[in-house]
Amino acid sequence: MSTFKSSGILGVFPFADDLLKALEELKASGVPIHTVFSPIPRSEIQKILGQRPSPVRFFTLLGGSLGLATGISLASYAHLKWEFVTGGKPVLAWIPFVVVGFEFTILFGVLFTLASLLFKSGLPKLRLPEQYDPRFSGDRFGVFVSGSGGGKEMARMIFQNNGAEEVRDVF
Amino acid sequence: MERFTYQEVNREILRTLNPPRKPYYFLVGGLFLAVLYAASCWAYQILTGMGVAGVMHPVNWGIYLVNFVFWVGIAHSGTLISAILYLLRARWRTSIARSAEAMTVFAVMIAGLFPFIHLGRIWVFYWILPYPNQRDLWPNFQSPLVFDMIAISTYLTVSFLFWYTGMIPDLAAVRDHATGLRQKIYRILSLGWVGSHRQWRHYTSAYVLFAALATPLVISVHSVVSWDFALSIVPGWHSTIFAPYFVAGAIHSGLAMVLTLLIPLRRIFRVEKFITMETLESIAKTIIFTGLIVGYAYGVEYFMAWYSGNRVERDTFIWRAVGHYAYAFWIMVVCNSVAPLAFFFKKVRTRLSSLLLISVLVNIGMWYERFVIIVGSMAHEYNPYSWGNYAPTWVELSIMAGSFCLFLFLFFLFVKFLPSISITEIKESLKPPARERSKA
Repeated sequence: MSTFKSSGILGVFPFADDLLKALEELKASGVPIHTVFSPIPRSEIQKILGQRPSPVRFFTLLGGSLGLATGISLASYAHLKWEFVTGGKPVLAWIPFVVVGFEFTILFGVLFTLASLLFKSGLPKLRLPEQYDPRFSGDRFGVFVSGSGGGKEMARMIFQNNGAEEVRDVF
Repeated sequence: MERFTYQEVNREILRTLNPPRKPYYFLVGGLFLAVLYAASCWAYQILTGMGVAGVMHPVNWGIYLVNFVFWVGIAHSGTLISAILYLLRARWRTSIARSAEAMTVFAVMIAGLFPFIHLGRIWVFYWILPYPNQRDLWPNFQSPLVFDMIAISTYLTVSFLFWYTGMIPDLAAVRDHATGLRQKIYRILSLGWVGSHRQWRHYTSAYVLFAALATPLVISVHSVVSWDFALSIVPGWHSTIFAPYFVAGAIHSGLAMVLTLLIPLRRIFRVEKFITMETLESIAKTIIFTGLIVGYAYGVEYFMAWYSGNRVERDTFIWRAVGHYAYAFWIMVVCNSVAPLAFFFKKVRTRLSSLLLISVLVNIGMWYERFVIIVGSMAHEYNPYSWGNYAPTWVELSIMAGSFCLFLFLFFLFVKFLPSISITEIKESLKPPARERSKA
């Protein structure tokens, strides 16, 4: 969530198809949509809002690459420091180091994925935004349009015309 | 699965978190006491020394490491179900993924305890960690034991984070349903999740990436565990088949444990509507597949022992089937390879009693498989003058029993305090509420 104390208007929808219609109309009318709440992920919502794929994947790649470098470097450093020949293998035996590098790749990849998920999603937060309704984790969908004036009134009309069971102002 | 509304899904799954009745407290309390008893046995071993355990030359790896491998194996089904089957879009996994993931986390935690118990001098456990020290001593990164330490700790971290991340939207649902102190606790646990389009966008992307990273990890972990044995020259261990053989065995035992736990769970919590007979049947079919792989591996081991022309190897395998531990070998073969064949019959795999019975047999068989491999090979190595048998002591058996109690204790806490069926994934498997359909 980008803002916690945004004022605006919230529409609560019991049906997903109504929600999608309302979003399309809001988009066509040029009313900026602040947040859409839903109990499950819906690709149609992302499509209407024109969202690009999440950048989380780049962080995963970065984490995995760093992990690989860390694992191989750590094993190499330790073996160069100790210079202990085991099993007739050279001090820098690359094949066994692949295992170390692989495990660090996965570990760092996952840690970076999680960190980027939390960062990009604005988590953790102990206070919930004003516009959030507990029904959104159950069976209701919500659209929040921030601001006041013409856009807000246009949004109210679109919500009411598209089957919103509740339309309320958020201050 | 029946057709539910989203609200019904919330209601039915959140109902499992209602305050329990008295028998639950007795059961959890009893398990906790058993865990305390096992912990005191470990304390006794630390104070007295490793002599209280039965491990002694030539069998220096006893049932502590049998249990280690067994629990790592059990941990494999969770990631198989939640990651691999997720990527393969197997819909039957939806209702059981969460419990299997929890099982994975608890099983890895318990598995991770056994090398420490086996270590004896637990206070120097940190010697295996790579840290700068005065004598410039470093762990040997060519050693499979160091691979193991890295792989198991990575697996524990990854499986825990995968489990927890998958649970965040559901924890928000619990938070929105709870009141008072419970609400405060779940508010912290759900990290402030609200299900906004931004959050879902990053969440879905991250979840697929988690699954993609966990998939090769799960294969690697038991491969690494198998190399603890295969990279040595002990007859019966030194084999290239070990990695796939161990991975298949791990999935075999893990799936059986899922059945063993979920059959009573679905009855107790009355969630048969979600964990359907079709789901249990699908697990049973997968067990046939893994059982066939495991049976094939047993056969290949014998073939390789014969075909290699290595007398020691041949003798080891003959001794396994007719020697001191022959009973363990035949329990292993019958329980792991013969019993699951009964699942070819629809009647067997659609009856709860037979599903439960065979799943328990597979668990017993897989424990004995680890016993046969570890103890059986060490007891009968190259030199006849150093052959010898091993029997676990009461301390080892108590700690082993305690590990099973700890697993059940953690699982019982999980099913009462966290949603054991994924609310979000169940909803995703349903058609979303639509005005068009409601008119129809």
